Parts: sequence; structure tokens; C-alpha cells
Amino acid sequence: MDKQPMQLTPVQLERLALRRVRFTRPALWVQLVLLACLIVGPVVLPSFRVMDVMTKVMIFAVVAASYDLILGYTGILSLAHVTFFGIGAYSLALITFHSGHPAWYHLFLAMALAVGLSGVLAVALAFFSLRVKAIFFTMMSLAFAEFIFILGDQWHDLTMGEDGVSFGLPGVFSVNWSGGTILGAPLNGRLLTYYFILVASVLLFVGLVRFVRSPAGRVLKSVRDNEQRSTALGYKTFHYKVLSNVFGSVTASLAGVLFAMWLGYVNPTSVLGIPVMLNVLLMVIIGGMGTLYGSIMGAAFIQVAEAWLPDLQKLAAFLLPTVEVAQRLAERWILYFGILFILVVIFFPKGLVGTARDIIARRKLRLAQKNQ
Amino acid sequence: MTSQAATVGLQAQGGTDPRRLGVWIVSVGIWFLPLLWIDPTTYMVLTVAGLAMGMLIFLTASGLTLIFGLMDVLNLAHGAFFVWGAYVGFSLLKVLQAVGWVEGAGLGQSVGTVILCLLAALVVGGLLGIVLEKLLVRLTYGSHLKQILITMGASLILVEILKVVWSPNDEVVMVPAAFQGSWDIMDVIINKFRVVAIVVGLAVLTGIQLVLNRTKLGIIVRAGVENKEVVETLGYNIRRIFTGVFCAGAALAAVGGTMWSIFKEQIHPAMGEENLIFALIVVIIGGMGSVTGSFLGAIMVGLAFNYVAYTVPQLALGANIMIMAVILLIRPTGLLGKD
Repeated sequence: MDKQPMQLTPVQLERLALRRVRFTRPALWVQLVLLACLIVGPVVLPSFRVMDVMTKVMIFAVVAASYDLILGYTGILSLAHVTFFGIGAYSLALITFHSGHPAWYHLFLAMALAVGLSGVLAVALAFFSLRVKAIFFTMMSLAFAEFIFILGDQWHDLTMGEDGVSFGLPGVFSVNWSGGTILGAPLNGRLLTYYFILVASVLLFVGLVRFVRSPAGRVLKSVRDNEQRSTALGYKTFHYKVLSNVFGSVTASLAGVLFAMWLGYVNPTSVLGIPVMLNVLLMVIIGGMGTLYGSIMGAAFIQVAEAWLPDLQKLAAFLLPTVEVAQRLAERWILYFGILFILVVIFFPKGLVGTARDIIARRKLRLAQKNQ
Repeated sequence: MTSQAATVGLQAQGGTDPRRLGVWIVSVGIWFLPLLWIDPTTYMVLTVAGLAMGMLIFLTASGLTLIFGLMDVLNLAHGAFFVWGAYVGFSLLKVLQAVGWVEGAGLGQSVGTVILCLLAALVVGGLLGIVLEKLLVRLTYGSHLKQILITMGASLILVEILKVVWSPNDEVVMVPAAFQGSWDIMDVIINKFRVVAIVVGLAVLTGIQLVLNRTKLGIIVRAGVENKEVVETLGYNIRRIFTGVFCAGAALAAVGGTMWSIFKEQIHPAMGEENLIFALIVVIIGGMGSVTGSFLGAIMVGLAFNYVAYTVPQLALGANIMIMAVILLIRPTGLLGKD
């Protein structure tokens, strides 16, 4: 086909190589199987708890992946990422709650509001703090996150304070809606919401993957690896950093809208709190920074742990009914998160997917050497 | 050779740059502005409260800024030291209460109580700092991301252990008898413990400045802030100095925690995190690495918080973030930060 391969840039060559193995990569099959599991999951296992965990895994995979775009691909540590997620969640909650009667256009309005608000705030935050040093951004984002949290907590007329906002969804997404049965499974609002969230989060995730592989995504990686060099090559690195920050934040806010749809209830601690931020950070670290797909594994790990770790407490109460310290220790599962956090950072800095990729790459290299 | 390092350090700290003078004048002058809408008596009360709060924030922020300036470590476990100090002081306070010192009317007993509690916090905070530095922070020099993650993880662990050892609930803290209540000077009501807070804060500021400016150790630390490699080449063990500064910073945060809990008359495990936000704002405003800058920043934040909390209560923390944004717009490196 290409008679003059010398004229192709390294990027184009890499693309060609990728395109050739597009359908034979094992990763593709893993992705398809995962997708199939998520599609048939609620039909095969009609337990609410399982469905709940699966939905949260999908949503948080998007949040963690969008965070990975900022942290792993651009090298900026933001502590306000969940704040944008919360802004999205509150957009939907407040619009449907204050309008009294949920309608279809509220959903679109909420998405538009989430995108607009988080876009503007992300630009402002980046403009104020990215100019100086990356570490400045971390501190500023922490202060910003705290500010928005206090706003959600104190602005009682708008946000109902710490009591939170509960609201209904319009039409077929409403909890009360029921449409008979399909293939033996009851078709109801919850199930439809689940599939809506599935489609939306797959779209968002694919959007992130496309963004990372776009020319802008390549520049971002170069900024992360060597900012001076990319400046010298003529890229306005500041602009790219702002772009990645805004793209990630907007995606997170859309995931927030999905989260609010699923729960039908929003309060400051569940969508704006620092602990949620730490969870997302942990998801990215466990999955592996700069891998995007790692965030799915990280989200699955954390959500499953969060759903079933409280049972540990019951176990401790059952096994050691007299030892009070053991029960107190079992109660504090954030403690184990903290320990896990440190262990992963020190001993496993590339995370699950990063380490797996390393092993595969090493094996390929060894095979290539053997063949020579 | 040593004296050369010293002069480099001195020039960076001192010097009468007209721009710096301007910064000083503006940052002092602007605080008389609230007199336009707050009557003078209330203004005085708020000012004393703000100064006291500022001094206490400074205790936490000074360690944070020194650790950042010298070691280039953003220590997010600082809030954990703060809250550990608060709980250790609180426990000792309870013990002393059982002995009868806290309710005792004598000034000596009350002063003794406060000093003992602060000492206990100082020791525990310092020890925690040494352990954390030797065990974890040491592994991560040079990588900001790892430092932030590690200190954050350490902070989670420390606060959770604290919840196991003490309790996760709010508790009331007794104020030593001699410092309860307030003085009334020409209708200006001055809470007694606020004065204590101001005294302690000024004492710590003087102490830090004396150590930094008048001792050899201070010269080495300041030179280290300027240029670590040169200090190492001159034969000083910079690692040991790192540990020392980390320990001192942690101890200061712990003292700040005890003072804060008596000041607020209550204690809860999340207070470290809340105070860390204040301290971060202060460090950003003052310029990272500058102790004087963080003192100025702390006073600004304390005063602004009180004035705004009196005028529009909901906006109090927002006002601090606004100040931070404005200062960063004018000077991206903070008030006294290096360019």
C-alpha cells in the first residue's frame, strides 16, 4: 500500500500498526466481555444490591478515567475533581427539585448547566493556579473544593444544606414507572435508568479514550513527560493543561448527573466530600495512572470493597464479641484504605493495568530476543 | 564558606525593597476599611478575635511553609498532627481536671495547665513528625505526586487511629479557670483566652525568627531553603536537617491543635482537615517558604474571617478564598514568595 513509508510520521506509523491489530488484540475481547456482562448483568442477577454496585462502578469508572486524564496524562494533581462531579449531581437535583414536577427537558437542562458551570469554574481554577507551579494547583483546588462543599452545606435555601435533596425522575426513568416484563424480567424505571447510565457512561468513556489518542492528547503526554521540551517545540503548554483540565472536569460533571439520576438523592457528603475525592484518587492509583482502562478496575475494586466491607464489622462482632478494640478497628475501614493507599504508592506505583502492561511488554521483548 | 551561605540567605530574607514596603503598607492599611460599616467597639472585639485566630492559624501554617520551603514537600498530613496535638492536650487537660488544676482559681495553676498541655502536644507531635518523616516521607523526596499521596494516606491513617483511640464524636473542652470569661475595657469585650492565644502566637513567631536569624541552625535551614545542593556541598547533613524541620513543623501544628481546641472549647476528629485548609490558604497567600509571609497571611485570614463572619456569616470562608484569588492575581507567588 504505502510505497514511501519514509514520508509517514512516527505517529502515523504507530496508528497504522495499531489499526492492523485492531480486531485481534486481546484487550478488545476483554472490553467486549465486560460490556456484555454489564448488559446482561441485571437480567441474570436481579438483585438490587448487585445492580447498584454495577451502576456505581460504571459511573465511577468514568469519574476516575476523567481524573486519570488530568492526573495520569497531564501530570496535574487536582483535589477538586469530585467537586465537579458534585456540581453535575447538584445541577440535576436542584433543577428537578425546585421546578416541582420533573419533566424531560430538565434532564437536558441539567446536563447543559453541568457542562457550562463546571467548564467555567474549571477554566477559572486553572487560570488562577496553573500559571505558577503544578503544586500550587493542588493547594488551590483543595481550597476550592472545600469552598464548594461549604456552599453546598450552608446555602440552605438553595441546596437544603446537609439534609440533601431528594427528587423524582421524569417519565420512564421514574421509580414508579412499570412496563410489564421483557424476557421474564420486570421492566421498570430502575432498569431503564440502568441502561441509560450504561450507554451514557460508555459514550463518556469512549470520548475520553478518543481525547487521549487525539493530537491534543499526545501533546498532553509530552507536557507530562517533559514540559520544557514541549514548550521548546512550540506548544503553548498552559493552554493544553487548561484544555485537559476542562475536558476532564466537564466529563466528571456529566458523570455526576448520571449519579444523581441513579440515587435520586444528593447531599454534600456523598458527592462533594473529600472522602469521595480520596476514593476516586485511590481508584486511579490502584488501576494505574495514565492507563484509562485501569480506572474501571480501580472503580470496581473500591465499589465492591465499599459494598461488602461493612460486613467485616459484623464478622468481627461475631468472631470476637468480647474484644472491643477489634470491633472498633473493624468499624474504621477508611484506616485500611489509607494503609492500602500507602502500600500501593510505594510498592505498586504503576497500578494493576500499568504493571500488567509492563509484564506483557517485557515478555514480548524476551520473545523478540529469542527469535533473533 | 559558611559565612558566604549566610550572607546569601540574609540578602534573600532582609533588604529594603520598595515593593516589599508597599506590600506591607497596603496589607496593614486595608484592615481599617471595615470601620466604614462596623462600629468601633465591635470592630475592636472582632479585631482581637481575628488576631487570636490568625496567631493560631500561623502556628500550623509556619510549619507547613517551612517544610515546603526547605524540603519541597507539600505535607498534607499536617492536619493530622494538628488534631493529634489537640487530642493529646485534651486528654492531659482531663487528667489535670481530675486533679483539680483546671477549675483551680489560681493563675499559676491555669498557666501551668496550658503549658503542660502544650508541652505534651509538642512532644507527641514532634515524635509523630519524626516517625512519619523517617518512615514514609523519606521514600518520596523529589516526587511531588508521591509525597502528596503518601502524606494524604498517612493523614487518613493517623486520623482513623485517633478515632479508635479516642472517639469519633465531638467533645467539649474545658477552659482553665483563670482564662474563662472576658475583660471589659471601655465597652470592648476581650475574651481572656484570645489574649493568651495572641501571646502564644507572638512567642512562637519570635522564637522561630530568633532561631532562623540568630543561630547557626537557622542559617543552615535558610540556606537550605535557598539552595539545598550548596548546603550539602558545604558538608552539612541535609537529611538530618530535613527530619529536624519536619519534626519542628509537626510539633508546632500539634501545639496549634491544642490551642485551637481550648480556643473553640470543643474538639472533633475532622478539625485537622478544616484547619489544614486555612493553613494552606495562608501559606499560598504568604508565599510558600516564607515564615514572615505566612504570619502576615494568617493575620489577614483571621481578621477577614471575623469581619466577614460578622457582616455576612455564610461568606466567611469564601472571603478567604477571594483574598487568595486577588493576591494570586497581583502576585502569583504570594506576598513574600520568591519569583
